[in-house]
Amino acid sequence: MSGDADGSGVGGRRGIVATGLYLPQQRLDGDEIEAAWGTTVPVDRAAVPAADEDALTMAVAAGRDALGRWDLGADDVAHLAVATTTPPLEEEAFAPRIAAALGLDSALSTTTATQSTAAGGEALLAGVDSDGPALVVVADAPEGDAAEVGQRAGAGAAAFVVDDDADVVLEDSARESRDAPGLRLRERGSTDVSELDITTYERETVRDTVSTVLGRLVIDHDAVGAASLQQPTGDIPHRIGKALPYDAAAISSGTVVNDIGDAGAATVAIGLLAGLEAVDAGATVVAGFFGSGATAVGLGFEVNAPPEPGVGAAIAAGEEISYPEALRARGTIGDTEVAGGGAHVSLPSWQRTIAQRYRLVAGRCPGCGAVAFPPEGACPACGAREEFESTPLSLTGEVVAVTAIGQGGAPPEFVAQQRRDGPFAVAIVEATTVDGDGSARFPAQLTDCDVEAVSVGDVVTGELRRIYTVEGVTRYGLKFVPE
Amino acid sequence: MTDAYIVGAGQSDFGSFPNRSYRSLFDDAFDEAVETVDGDFDPDDVDEAFLGTLGVGGRQLGLSGPAVTEHLGLHGIPTTRVENACAASGYALRQAVMAVRSGMADLVLAGGYEVMTDTSGDHTKWWLGVSGETEWERLSGTTFAGVYAQMASAYLREHDDATVEDFSRVAVKNHGNGAKNPHAHLGFECTMEEATNAPDVASPLNLYHCCPTTDGASAVLVASESVAAELSDAPVRVSGAGAASGRVGLFQRDSLTGIPASATAADRAYEDAGITPEDLDFAEVHDCFAIAELAAYEDLGFCDRGAAPQLLREGVTDPDGALPVNTSGGLKSKGHPIGATGTGQVVEVFAQLRGDAHVQVERPEVGLAHNVGGSGGGVTVHVFEQVEGGEL
Repeated sequence: MSGDADGSGVGGRRGIVATGLYLPQQRLDGDEIEAAWGTTVPVDRAAVPAADEDALTMAVAAGRDALGRWDLGADDVAHLAVATTTPPLEEEAFAPRIAAALGLDSALSTTTATQSTAAGGEALLAGVDSDGPALVVVADAPEGDAAEVGQRAGAGAAAFVVDDDADVVLEDSARESRDAPGLRLRERGSTDVSELDITTYERETVRDTVSTVLGRLVIDHDAVGAASLQQPTGDIPHRIGKALPYDAAAISSGTVVNDIGDAGAATVAIGLLAGLEAVDAGATVVAGFFGSGATAVGLGFEVNAPPEPGVGAAIAAGEEISYPEALRARGTIGDTEVAGGGAHVSLPSWQRTIAQRYRLVAGRCPGCGAVAFPPEGACPACGAREEFESTPLSLTGEVVAVTAIGQGGAPPEFVAQQRRDGPFAVAIVEATTVDGDGSARFPAQLTDCDVEAVSVGDVVTGELRRIYTVEGVTRYGLKFVPE
Repeated sequence: MTDAYIVGAGQSDFGSFPNRSYRSLFDDAFDEAVETVDGDFDPDDVDEAFLGTLGVGGRQLGLSGPAVTEHLGLHGIPTTRVENACAASGYALRQAVMAVRSGMADLVLAGGYEVMTDTSGDHTKWWLGVSGETEWERLSGTTFAGVYAQMASAYLREHDDATVEDFSRVAVKNHGNGAKNPHAHLGFECTMEEATNAPDVASPLNLYHCCPTTDGASAVLVASESVAAELSDAPVRVSGAGAASGRVGLFQRDSLTGIPASATAADRAYEDAGITPEDLDFAEVHDCFAIAELAAYEDLGFCDRGAAPQLLREGVTDPDGALPVNTSGGLKSKGHPIGATGTGQVVEVFAQLRGDAHVQVERPEVGLAHNVGGSGGGVTVHVFEQVEGGEL
């Protein structure tokens, strides 16, 4: 069962060449939940996605972070592997939207792993097994009953660029499959993850499956400096570890669930980033992914130069929110369907402008050189009706006009979001072209900010977010976050 | 070419009339307009009608114009529905003036109507938002109040001297005028304190910096010189007609603090009338939001850029000032039934120039009406003058 992942030998040893991370800004302290329910909560803190975030937007944010730390360009990615248990739709590919938002080549191949928390390991292996540079993104935001799994639900995304000649080499990998259902499941049509709570059965299954798959790795187990093991709660990795020769410190350095909550398929992937960050050069780092059903993926890495994904800093950042705010953000309370429908921008009209909505591709007039956004119609400066040359704007720009749309004041298509996220700021942003020659303005919603504190002159940066959903189709586009 | 004259102008009550139809509201406006005609008016003499509406809440997107004139009993006359958002009836008046000046018609009905308050809040907001720039501006989550609030934020940044209190001054002045107008939707006075401490709608604009959503209709009778001489003892000459278009989205325009189409339309109207802003005795300007009145002062040449707050603070635009603005109460107090607003302004101008206004300016001879569609995508400016000696 043991696989050899040392690469074909042609391009050198395959592994992780760049990493990326994204955690939602909002954090819910476990004490808040304990006070509300009068019970003990299994995690210290959890990252809570904003109303305009989902697995897709977090995947894009982490993917962009990884690509930014890689010495090649987005064009050079040959394979995109994505993993989540919470794809925005039950049926419909979501990898293509991630690829488009990141500006990847349309000819690249994609794989999507889903349906269990082991998906993160499956996506990493898909990246390793592909040819050429691969981008692997694991993003998740599980939900559950507020009195049960919902008490520890977290969110986050990890991204890995996998290529030959890596500093973090995948030494070995292994899989384990056995018939063991009921540990973590979500029925068709439901958004809530549930568990049967058959404690001994669950603990034994996770412990045995993950320790078996890791025991199968042909690596120097005594050199393991960090281990990210299946971590729906903070105690499980240590229970698994009892069957393995890893010390408690190594397991703790790969355990993030107490800080970010149960981020589904992404928890072990983010734990792997934390582990890679924690060790010295020469150490071995393992990851043990588990999925109810059951399946497990074991990965063993030799770390020649530790990456710096910044997990510690990202965990320390963030903004505390109250429990009612978290319930609103998740749509647990206050969610609504608005009469009157959304703005009538047809889906084809939206798709026609994807390059602008995802990447701010403006146009330069071939006649006078003026910049137009969106690049259509006559040139705003000289009036010529010639085809614009594409010129992207910087994703960072300056607010030149801004207002806050208060509760009750939102257009109907934004009412549901406002119920969950509160008042939002809407600005006109001016950004220069990437080539530095000219600028253009565009209207933009601001997000992840104190709407009262935003003012003209603020510098803001674009992130892909959910804009609104109509007829079941979510429109994604850039929103802007103040520095 | 004959000049065009206003020989009658009237409006329905402006307010919230969920049980009224847009057709019956227009009947009221038409009846009042006919009452102001001094001579013997025969409805059969109306040659043509141009009627403005955004679309009466979507209930009659097509052919609402003929529905109105047929309901009114003006059977068979050609009726054109004019749509340019909040400037719909400013443009309807322009069409009427063009028809008369061209010689194609001798007596033309221009007017507008809107019914907005009988649908759910969500539906109303959806409907109000359809005249914003939809693909980008609207989908950033903004509203009309939001777009004007963005202008206000840029204005406050660009002009250090300007304050939110200057916006409140617009509300206090216009409510003071509207309180005397029996047709006004919000016909009550307000204090500086009320107008400054009201809850935010879209910061920095609060409730008192925003006009209401209003039902209503207005009607104006535009006549050629010969017909005006027959029908009116004191016709009002449309001496200047100007109009201009602008980019529909605020982000698409060079200026965030003014409305370029207003300035262009005003220049054209002044040139057509052969006057300068100094010649004006009063004006009705499009104050859908308080910042819009400040921008209008500057766009229409009443003062230099950045000096609008000064006009308000010094009372220049008060009823007893050098250039009274919005003696009707403006959109803020009188109300803003979108399609009816443009010709609704003419009702006030007509009354002022005939000495019949509720807040009468002292012996005015030249007035102006300024009507803006959306946040500045389409603007009309008309200049009106008393006929020398009163009669033609």
